Order: sequence, then structure tokens, then C-alpha cells
Amino acid sequence: MKNPVTSIKETSARYKTLDAQDKKRFWVDGILNNAIYIILVIFLIYTYTKNPLIVSPSAIVNLLTLVAANLPMALGIGGCIVLTGTDLSAGRIVGLTAGLSAALLQGASAANKYFENLGEPGIGMVLLVLLLVLVIGGLVGMVNGFFVARFQLHPFIVTLATQMIVYGACLIFYNSNGNNGQPISGLSQAFRNFVTGSILPKFGGLAIPNYVLYAIVVFIIMWFVWNKTTFGKNMFAVGSNPEAANVSGVNVFFTTMMVHTLAGVTYGYTGLIESARIASNVANTGTNYESDAIAACVIGGVSFVGGTGTVGGVLLGVVLLRIIYVCLQFLSVDQNLQYVIKGAIILLACSIDMRKYLTRK
Amino acid sequence: MAQEMLLQMKDICKSFPGVKALDHVSLNVRPGTVHALMGENGAGKSTLMKCLFGIYRKDEGTILLEGNEVDFKTSKEAMEHGVSMVHQELNQALKRSVMDNLWLGRYPKTAGIMVNERAMYQETKKLFQELEIDVDPRQIMSKLPVSKRQMVEIAKAVSYHSKIIVFDEPTSSLTEEEVEHLFRIIHMLRDRGCGIIYISHKMAEILRISDDITVMRDGQWVATRPAAELDMPTIIKLMVGRELGNQFPPKTNKPEGVSLEVEHLSGQYTNLKDVSFQAHKGEILGLSGLDGSGRTEVLENIFGVATRKSGVIKLDGKAVKNKNSGQSIKAGFALLTEERRATGIFGIRNIRDNTVISSLGKHLVGHLWLNEKSMKKDTQWSIDSMRIKTPSQETKIRSLSGGNQQKVILGRWLLTTPKVLLLDEPTRGIDVGAKYEIYQLIIDLAAKGATVLMVSSEMPELLGICDRILVMSGGRLAGEVDAKTTTQEEIMTLAAKYV
Amino acid sequence: MNKKKLVSLFLAAVMVCAMASCGSGGTETTAAETTAAETEAATEAGSGAETEAPETTGGEAAGEAFTPKVGVFYYSFADAFISSVRAELDAALTEAGIEYQNYDGNSSQATQNESITTALSSGTNLLLVNLVDTASVDAATTIIEQAEAAGAKVIFFNRAVEGDDQEGQVLNAYETVAFVGTDAPEAGHLQGQMIGEYLTENFDTVDLNGDGKISYAMFMGQVGNVEAIYRTQYSVEDAVTVLAEAGHGTADDPALVYFNPDNTDKYQADQQGNWSAQAAMEYMQTNLSQYSEANGNMIELIICNNDNMAEGAIQALQNAGYNNGEGTTTIPVFGVDATESAKGLIAAGSMTGTVEQSATGMADALLGMVQNVAAGETMDAAVEAVVGTNAELYSVSEAVANKLYVAYSAYTGE
Repeated sequence: MKNPVTSIKETSARYKTLDAQDKKRFWVDGILNNAIYIILVIFLIYTYTKNPLIVSPSAIVNLLTLVAANLPMALGIGGCIVLTGTDLSAGRIVGLTAGLSAALLQGASAANKYFENLGEPGIGMVLLVLLLVLVIGGLVGMVNGFFVARFQLHPFIVTLATQMIVYGACLIFYNSNGNNGQPISGLSQAFRNFVTGSILPKFGGLAIPNYVLYAIVVFIIMWFVWNKTTFGKNMFAVGSNPEAANVSGVNVFFTTMMVHTLAGVTYGYTGLIESARIASNVANTGTNYESDAIAACVIGGVSFVGGTGTVGGVLLGVVLLRIIYVCLQFLSVDQNLQYVIKGAIILLACSIDMRKYLTRK
Repeated sequence: MAQEMLLQMKDICKSFPGVKALDHVSLNVRPGTVHALMGENGAGKSTLMKCLFGIYRKDEGTILLEGNEVDFKTSKEAMEHGVSMVHQELNQALKRSVMDNLWLGRYPKTAGIMVNERAMYQETKKLFQELEIDVDPRQIMSKLPVSKRQMVEIAKAVSYHSKIIVFDEPTSSLTEEEVEHLFRIIHMLRDRGCGIIYISHKMAEILRISDDITVMRDGQWVATRPAAELDMPTIIKLMVGRELGNQFPPKTNKPEGVSLEVEHLSGQYTNLKDVSFQAHKGEILGLSGLDGSGRTEVLENIFGVATRKSGVIKLDGKAVKNKNSGQSIKAGFALLTEERRATGIFGIRNIRDNTVISSLGKHLVGHLWLNEKSMKKDTQWSIDSMRIKTPSQETKIRSLSGGNQQKVILGRWLLTTPKVLLLDEPTRGIDVGAKYEIYQLIIDLAAKGATVLMVSSEMPELLGICDRILVMSGGRLAGEVDAKTTTQEEIMTLAAKYV
Repeated sequence: MNKKKLVSLFLAAVMVCAMASCGSGGTETTAAETTAAETEAATEAGSGAETEAPETTGGEAAGEAFTPKVGVFYYSFADAFISSVRAELDAALTEAGIEYQNYDGNSSQATQNESITTALSSGTNLLLVNLVDTASVDAATTIIEQAEAAGAKVIFFNRAVEGDDQEGQVLNAYETVAFVGTDAPEAGHLQGQMIGEYLTENFDTVDLNGDGKISYAMFMGQVGNVEAIYRTQYSVEDAVTVLAEAGHGTADDPALVYFNPDNTDKYQADQQGNWSAQAAMEYMQTNLSQYSEANGNMIELIICNNDNMAEGAIQALQNAGYNNGEGTTTIPVFGVDATESAKGLIAAGSMTGTVEQSATGMADALLGMVQNVAAGETMDAAVEAVVGTNAELYSVSEAVANKLYVAYSAYTGE
């Protein structure tokens, strides 16, 4: 990174050399390229004038937990988008793994126990189930990746198909063992403590749930994977130009499969967290989660052009989307209008992002 | 004199933020002549043409077509006024048929709405006969070789009844024979009174076909003279602004013992059949032949990016598997591909990412993470030793010129310390100065003991820097010649052996 | 080294595929077997039903008896209550030896219509339809006319085919149609009654800031769904009435006020229309970041359109330190459906009440209808006969003779 002071100096020196027209363009470009941040600030200021509680500690903790719940999945899907793909199966995988986690980690005294023979699970069992859902998510992701890489099918089609298969499995699961589609809840204390308990220091007198901490860990791991590993470099290479990657010694098949597998792992993780965060799991849990995740990625600059995007950008996208959702609620905006505003913001943010990749004339 | 001119571009200026791309450039084209536009990459030839076609807005200057001032907003408008262009990088709808491409945007209609396929077919057929182009109008574009696709592009320009046709590097992907065909078409157009603007790096062609030559350098007009008054050294001198002693650097490499042996190589899905040869340490081995003769396939099969049916590859006496590029790189092979944009660069990534992608293993710390510092160091080495012109390592590769992109990729491969370099058209679309540097790099590598296999369509280039030349024909090896003693005629004869 | 890894990865992938295909293959065969078994049983049962039918109905059959081939069209397999009905109905139909096939509408009326067309063309003669678009007269009419053309009869269930103001518009217009369900507004009325009574008894405990008003939050399952609209409306209206009678506020100055005066909707709805716990949970969490006891504006009552949303709201409350049983403040939460897990929460003291709809009662009524209709009864007579079996649970609509109501009941764990 350049020293910010010198870079500002350089910019101002360059600015002085520009003529009037170029100066205008400098400002227009500057505004458009940073439009996402500008929108964010305007939105926050406006909300603040209407409802100052938006900057209260409890509002901040609330935002933090919402971001933490949505970030890991967005990071997983982000990888698929870097490969110019997408993943429609994400929400359903969350639904399946959430149901499994809940069923395996119900308290001994739960009203409708799915596995009647299971006793009160301890922390060891929670970790075991975590491992299990990570593996299950990873396997479904690997199947996605296998078909994408082996048969060059578009991920849209592959994940559309697996989405249905996973949903079917999920329905079968919820209707088996005498459960008859009932919500699975009555989660064990160990499980709930693991996810929604708090070992972090309090913020403004408010407990910050553990999954915020886990989300930070996931973020760091993903930052590492994307930026510091051979796999990450290969992922960007494949996303940017698969033909060239193939010639350059990148194993395109393996890379594609692993990107999807990694994405699947993040869905499995999200499933476990959602299971305890919502505490009542039905077959529809997780439905359409991917649409928010994809929107967050694209807003954050992970472009469908492929081969570009940063982990920080995904975080920014998730934060922006959540701030908007929360602000709309703080502003008590009419429900119907909320759809319109959300849609408009996603469209605007993506157009601004895409503007960078258009050929300039 | 002035009213005789078909096209006059006067004092054209165009600047981009921080760069003056065109500085009062003028170009006058007489009817019934071929006017060559020359200059190194970045001299402003393409920018000038883009100003003509309205792809860029010119800042200053006037353009007169047959004495009337024109200012085209789009290339379509330009085409409708009889000014068209055959692009260097073809922009075609590859999944559509030849005639769909030809009539795109102006389909002949029945009753105003329905596309008249029959009329379209007839018109195309007629046009192709006139131009002696042997292509089925119903053929899907992507099934045609690049050269044929270019012919279609030329036919398109002709079909607009263009008065001015601009050819941008038209021969870069053509074989000698196809070049002859192209020249026949150009002569025909010229004789009809068209004005042809011909942009090329190939001196010999230019001297042969042009009537006038305009040379540009660094966005400025340098000279316009009749071709008859010019020769190659003078043009080069005008272009580079200095004396360029020789087109090719002196050969300092000395072939030694056998390093690469290829035995009975056949392709599974290509026409490559039973190719056997040997290459020596420190040798530059040329591969010549017509388009589709299997030159590229030889390289791709050796490197394992095309599926082999049979055959053995030995390096220093030991058989190597080379089933995929990863194995090949490990075994000491490197492949510089023919189509830089499609299979070479990662356009959206920066120079560093593009440089280290094939040698990431070197930078691993503890099998886990990559050492940023050592990647920067390697990239810097590549930039310095290849003399790559770039503002920084973080610059996106697609903003570099073709020559510099090629050097980045060459640098990428050198960082894998290859024993065998497979180069497919290493100088395509690169200006004279950069070409010379790439020749020098190739010769230096060979001098250090590498084995170089080089495919090229430019005969002088092969004769200039290779030691031996293998000639391919119809997927088979037609013969082997000594680069010092052979002639272009001998190679052409061999190339036609199995056609 | 890469090769080995790749091979093992590939093997793993193949195993997953194989397992998946095995799994699905397995279920397919079972399905086929059951159907075959059912067909056999159905033919037997069919003849049995014919002989029995006159006895139960007094011999006034208006049509001919036939062997029923039933198609059951659920609006969504993912819905908890519907899944209970499905389990019960599957068991009942299998036991009665009636041939049937289930279809998932997947929350799309178009999907459901397509399944119905297919089912009719494959010879289904009795349709049990759990309409996707509630109270859509057009959707219902389309299905009925399609069925009539194919000579099939239709029994709608669970989700209303016509709104209260349109009563009889569909059901009175056709003879081959009946409805088995609940009186849609009833759940709302019951919920309101229950809330009103609970508040009357515990007003001062619930009124945390002692301002004489109860500020409530309302979570709506789906915008535009009739049942959701009724529940949202009547639960508050009836509670206000009950409170007014007990001396808390009046109809014009109600003792129940929505917690956020700026929200003119007076509800927060699941934007995906899934009646989901997640939506309620996230809304409630954000609400709690603005409204708290410390600010003196804490939400004192939560009303949800269904139990799933109630559970989500409770989760948010629990995270904020409420509703954790002994020693914590309990914000009363009310739902509808009486799912097993909601009952569990009520037993644990984290939830206050719900409205029970009997899945068994619904399934039994449907089975009775199927048997009576197959025996040749008219729809009106079939409804009457079923109501006769359990007058406490079932009733006939006052306005429409072919509309059978299964009663709701309040559930507070007592």
C-alpha cells in the first residue's frame, strides 16, 4: 500500500494539471466510483436525523449480529462468482444442515425429539455435529463443482438441480422419524451457548454472541485463502481466463471443484449457526438466502465478469445490504415500498460496479 | 490536387487524460491507391482510425470525404457512408452463420419484418464468387479458421460498396497463399477506384502493395512518401527514429546434444499423425507450414493441453508423461500460446498475478501461504530483464500493449526455468522494436542451453533466427530443412506436400 | 501427489452420486410398490364401500357410487401444519385402502394447476385441493371447471376458496364441490379472545412501564394472504373488545397500541411470504435494539400469525435476556397452529398461548368425505354425514351447506 499522504499529494498535483473538462470528469468519476460509500453515509445520516437510535450500542450490536450471520455464506458464494458462476443451492443446503444440526442437538427434554435415543448433547457433540455439517455442505458443494468442472455445465443449471435434490432430501428428513414436518426446536443449552452465548467482552453493556467471533474467524480464513494461497491465485486465474489458466499449469478441474466445495462448507457452517440463531427449524429454513448473499457479493465488487473481487469487498457488500435493511426498518418504511427500495439499491450498486469494467472510449 | 483526394484527415488531435495520443496528424488518401500507415505499436495508428470511425471523438481537426466534411458518430454510420474497416481483432458473432454475420444489422427483409434467408444466401454467394472466397455462407463462423473469418470480414466491407477500406494487420493470421489471395482482392478493389488504408508491421508486404506510405511516431505525423522512393531501412529509421542495423539480432546460440525426442506423435481429436523429430540443447527449431497443417498441434500435444493418441516424448533420454500442463511444467516445458488474448493473459488481473501464476510453488512458505515479497521480487526481475514498459506491478495486464503483454507471458514462463520452450507465433501483432527484443530473448535463452521450438507464419523470421526448420503439411511432418541454406520456395513446396 | 488426491476426491464424489441415486432409487421402488398394493386394496375397498354406503346415508344417494382415485394437492410440503395433515391423511387413506397420490404445489398456484391437469388426465376422479392462492375465486373456479369437464369431484380443504364477503360464490355455484377447513377468521377471533383474557388477568404484570397501555408487536406471515390478514386484524380487535369490557381502555382509545407509532401498517411481514421464524427473529432483534425497558418503550406483547414466527420472536427475546423461564421477565407471545415445539415452549413458560387446529380432525373429515362421495352421496349430504360423526369438532357453515368447518381451540397448556 502507498502512503496515503503522498498519494493524496500526488493526486492533488495531478489534479492541478487537468483542464476544466477533465476536472469535471475527475469529480464525476470520483463520485461514481465511491458511490456505494456515499449512499451508505447518506442513508445513515438520514436515518440518524429521523431516528437517532440507529447509532445506539444496541443497534450496532444488532447490525453486527446480522452481518455475522450473513457473511460466511456470501464469502462462499463469492468464490463461485469469481469463477463467473453462481450458486442457487446455497439456501437449501443451509436448510438441510440446519435441520440436521437441530435434530442432532436437541435438548434431552425437547417436546418433539427427532432422535429419541439421543441424550443431552455436550460441547463435544456440538463440535462433532459442526464437523458433520461442514462435511455434508462440502460434499454437496463438491458434487456441484464436479458437474461444473467435468461437464462444463453452467453453475446456474447444476446448482438449480442440486437445489431441488437437496430440498427433496430436506423434506424427506423433516417428514421422517415421525416428525411429520414439524419444526425442530428445543435445542440443547450447550448448542445455544456455543452459538448465541457470549465469551466476547460486552459492548455498551450488551452481550455479543459467539457467532460474531466465528464470523471474524471465517473472514480471516477466507482472506487468507483468497490472497495468500496457491488455491486463491488459481481461483482468480480460472475466473479470469480458464483457457489461459489451463495452459499455465493450473488444474482447472480441481480448482473449480474446490471453490464449490469450499462454498458448500460455508453453507454447512451457516446451517449450524442459523439452526441455533433462529431456534426453530422447518424445511423452508434458508430459502432464498443465496439471493441476499449474491447481491451482497456483487454490491461489494465481486463481479460476474469473473476473476475479480476481494474478501473485504464482500464484507462491505454484506454490511451495506444489512444497513439498508435495518435503516428501512428504523425508518418504518412501508413494507411494499421496502421491496422497491431494496431492488433499486441493488440495481444501482451493481451498475456502478459494472461501470468499471465497461470499455472506455 | 486537393479535390482529387478521396479522404483527407487534417490536423487531427486527440488526448486522453495525461496523454496526447494524436498531435496534429494528417492523412490524405488518393482514389485508386493503397496507402500504407506505419508506425510502432502506440504510435497512434489505431487511435487515428478510431477517430475516423467515430469510436473516439476527435478533439480537433477536420475529416473530408470526397471534399465534404464528415463527422461519423458510429462505425455503422461510417460504413453507410462508404468507409469501412477490417479489424485486427475480429469481432464476430461466432455462433452464427457466415451470412448472418455479413448482413448483421441490415438483413434483407420480406414484407418488412421477416428476414429473407434465400436472398441473403444468394447475395452472399454472388459476393464470394466475385472475391473468389471459398466459404459456404451457411457455415457457422466458429468452424472457420481465422483466415477465412477474415475473408468474411473483407467481404462485408466490400458489400457496403465502400470507397475507403481500412485493413488493420490483415495478414497476421494468414498463410503465404492466403496473403496472395488477399492481395488479389486488394488490387481488385484498388482498380475499382477505392482508397485502401493498409496498416501493417510487415515491411515486405507494404513495399510490395502500397502506392503511398505514411509513417507515424509517438502520436505525430513523420512522413508521407511514395512507396517507390522508400526501402526497408529508411522506413524503419522513420518509424523508430533511429537506425536499426538489422531486423534480427546476431545468433549466439550453439546447438549441442539431443535434448528433446518426439516419437510417433499422433493426436486423438486432431489431424496430427505420426510426427517424429529431435531437438538439441541450445537449438532454435522452427516449425513452418500452412494454417491447419498441425504446427500448433505439435506444440499442444507435447505440452499435454491437447489429447494425445499415441507417441513418446523424451527429455534428456527420459520419457516424460506430460498429460497436463502441470506435469509438463514440472518436467521443464513451457508453452507460449498463439492467441494471446484468448489463452495467454488474465486480462483483469495485474501484472504480478499474471507473472507468477505458473511458478506459485516457488513462493510457498510451509506448503501453505504465499510469500508476497518473493513474488514481487520475481515479477520485478521479469519486468527488468524483459524490459516491460509498465507503470507498476499492480497495473492490469490488459492495459499494456500487445508486445508488453507478450513479454509478461514470456517472463511468466522463464520463471518456471524451462528446459524446452514451445513458442507459438511469439511475435504476432508486435511492433518492430519489440520484435527485435523478443528475438534477442529467444536467442539468449537458447544460448544458455534451452531448447526452443518456434511456430511462425512469417518465413523471414524463421529463416532469421532458427537453426533448423521442420515443415508440417496436412498434420504430418513433410520435411526438415537447414535454416541457413534453405529458401522460401523450398519450404513452400514442402508445405504443400500432403495438402 | 496431486493425482492421488484427485483420485480420492473423484471417488468421494462418485460415492456421493451413487448414494444419492441409490437413495432415490430406493424410495421410487417403495413408492411403486405401495401404489400397486393400494390399487389392489382399493378395488376391494371400493366394493366394500358400495355395500356399506346406503346404510350410513339412509339410501338417498344422489349419484352413482364409484371407485375413488384420489389426488391430494397440498399447497406446500414445507408447511408444518400441512405436513401433519398429510401424515394423518396418508395413514387414514392407506388404512381405508383408497388409492391416492400426493402432489406438492410448492407455494405456486401454477404448479398446482399443472399437477391437477396431469392428475386428471391420468384418471384421478376425486381431487382434494389445498389451494395455494387463498380465497381466490378464480383459481378455485378454474380447478372446478377443469375437474367437471373430466367428470371428477373436488373437495377443497384447509385454505379458503372464497373470502367472507364472497361466501357461497364458488361453493354454491357447483354441486360437485365441497370445502373442509376452518372458518378463516376464527383463528384470529380465538387468538384475540385468548389474548384479551390473558391481559385482563395479568394487565399490570404485562404493562412493564405502567402507562396503562400494552404496546404490542405483530408479525404477519405473508402479505396478501387472507388468513394472515384475518389473524392480524381480529386478534387485536377482539383483544381490545375483551379489554374494554374489563375496563381497560375503550374501542376508540384502545389499551393495545402498536409499539411503533410511525409504522402505519401496524405489522411486520415476512417479505419472502414464508411465515418464517427467521423473519420474525430478525425483525424482533432489530426492534429490540430500539425499544427496551431502559428506554421505557419495551414491547410488552407479541402476536404472531403462526407458531413458527412466535418461536423466532421468542429466540430474539431470549437472546436479549427475556422469556428464559424463572427469574426473567416474560413477554407474552401468542401464535397459531399448536405445533409440537410451540407446545413445548408453552410448557416451559417461554410462550403464552396458541390456537390449535386439529390435523387429525381435518384428516378424518377428509376421509369421511371421500368415502361418502365415493358411495354416491351428494356433497351436501356427505358434509352432513361427517358432521354427524362428531358434532363437537365439526360444524356446517350457516350460509353454505357444502362447507364443513373443523373447529379451532385455544391452547395455553392448561
